[in-house]
Amino acid sequence: MFSFLKILVRNLIQGPSTDPFPFGETFTPEGLRGRVRFDASACVGCRMCEHVCAGGAIRFEQSESELRFTLWHNSCTFCGLCQHYCKTKAIVLTEDWHLSHRQEEKYAMVEQGTVPLAPCLGCGISMIPVADELMRVAYRETNQDIDRLRRLCPDCRRKLGIKGVQRCKM
Amino acid sequence: MSSYTIPVGPLHVALEEPMYFRVEAQGEMVVGLDITAGHVHRGIEALAMTRNFYQNITLTERLCSLCSNSHPSTYCMALENLASIRIPERAEYLRVIADEIKRVASNLFNCAILGHIIGFDSLFKHVMETREIMQDVKETIYGNRMDLAANCIGGVKYDLDEERSKYLWQQMERMKKHLDEIYALYCKNSFVRLRTEGVGVLSKEDALRFAVVGPVARGSGIDYDVRQKSPYAAYDRLDFEVQTENGGDVLCRAKVRLREAQQAVRLIQQCVTDMPAGPTCIDTPPEIPAGEAIAKSEAPRGELIYYLRTDGSDIPERLKWRVPSYMNWDALKSMLVGDKISDIALIVNSIDPCISCTER
Ligand code: SF4
Ligand code: SF4
Repeated sequence: MFSFLKILVRNLIQGPSTDPFPFGETFTPEGLRGRVRFDASACVGCRMCEHVCAGGAIRFEQSESELRFTLWHNSCTFCGLCQHYCKTKAIVLTEDWHLSHRQEEKYAMVEQGTVPLAPCLGCGISMIPVADELMRVAYRETNQDIDRLRRLCPDCRRKLGIKGVQRCKM
Repeated sequence: MSSYTIPVGPLHVALEEPMYFRVEAQGEMVVGLDITAGHVHRGIEALAMTRNFYQNITLTERLCSLCSNSHPSTYCMALENLASIRIPERAEYLRVIADEIKRVASNLFNCAILGHIIGFDSLFKHVMETREIMQDVKETIYGNRMDLAANCIGGVKYDLDEERSKYLWQQMERMKKHLDEIYALYCKNSFVRLRTEGVGVLSKEDALRFAVVGPVARGSGIDYDVRQKSPYAAYDRLDFEVQTENGGDVLCRAKVRLREAQQAVRLIQQCVTDMPAGPTCIDTPPEIPAGEAIAKSEAPRGELIYYLRTDGSDIPERLKWRVPSYMNWDALKSMLVGDKISDIALIVNSIDPCISCTER
């Protein structure tokens, strides 16, 4: 019994262990999985994030001119799989955990972005230009020729590739 | 003396999760017991068969909050067994760290509730406060206080840099002191012993008969631990002993859990020092052929088994798991009969039941 009294006194002297939130600061470690941010300029439209999302929180809508991204925070489980599988880190979880909101705001708890489509330099079909982030992952450094590849559709890229191979053989 | 029937649960102040007990009593004594489950069935097994392999990592993590890491890691192991994927060695150690961190927090939670049920609420608060250290560790390393989201197919999706390894080490040193103190308290404190010693006894014979697993089995003298019997992840390279007690009562089960928490802390430290450098995950998307596989692990509550059948598509044809509480709750029939009505909640808590993953 005496041993526990010692602990009690010690805990009493130490004072409260709880944070004074919301009247004071609370502990937010680096890397906390909170609100999701989407960077349309880094997105290549591979839709892997949508594929791995268990909550079905991510939706893409494609039109003639753009690819629209929507993420519902109320369906998100903050598992971070989307971020893990996104090669260009166009989708990341931030440390912002201030997500409480009123019932009427529940459909406004979204993260949205639009990836513009552009015509292929070869055939003119509308496509998503490859993001700089992915070019860096693939080539580390880019030059003018590689940069041109960004704005070619896969078919035209393949054709260009075959021509290159033929040139080498000659 | 005439006997009478009383209902306990499914909603009851001292039961953590819904379960209905139809108790046959004679005076103060329990003489018969009937258990009815099915109050929190959520249809997750069926849901798993409509989700792809990736989505199921997140889904299985939500079966249970306290052993939330054991589910996705065992599920990923089943997939990796099926596709003959060898995960990087560093990932094996990182999986052990995640599992053991959850074990400490889970076991402390159960032992704290024991304090609450016997009316020793300052003990409850103290153990929960100690557990807070583990909660902060989870939040700092994984970014969430319950669901670590540590696993992916072919490895893990977190890493420990030097700073975090140091932080983890320091927190484990802090835990050691607290855990030694708590263990001594449970062994010696007269209030704790008075209410838990000789209560809810499960003999070794009955433990074998009911095929119980985890700390319930080990508290009745059965030396069975998946981490040692069929090692997975990095357990074959780590140095640890299976913790057992022979009394089979509520106190023995608590002692096993507390010693396992102490040992988990040492395991985490071993991992931090032994872990080789290298990748933490395979770098190509996994290809899962048609076939079937099994994986098992030692969750905080005991042996957890996953069965997976695939048909070559990226959605499981069948995913089924057997959780430790399924084996353990039946043994309540042996533990409760002959004990007092007032000890029912205490004894039920001593099997650390997880109804949410048993009924899923
Ligand atoms: S956010 Fe990332 S994963 Fe999702 S479509 Fe864009 S590039 Fe692909
Ligand atoms: S964090 Fe998880 S649940 Fe949320 S959007 Fe990403 S994959 Fe979906």
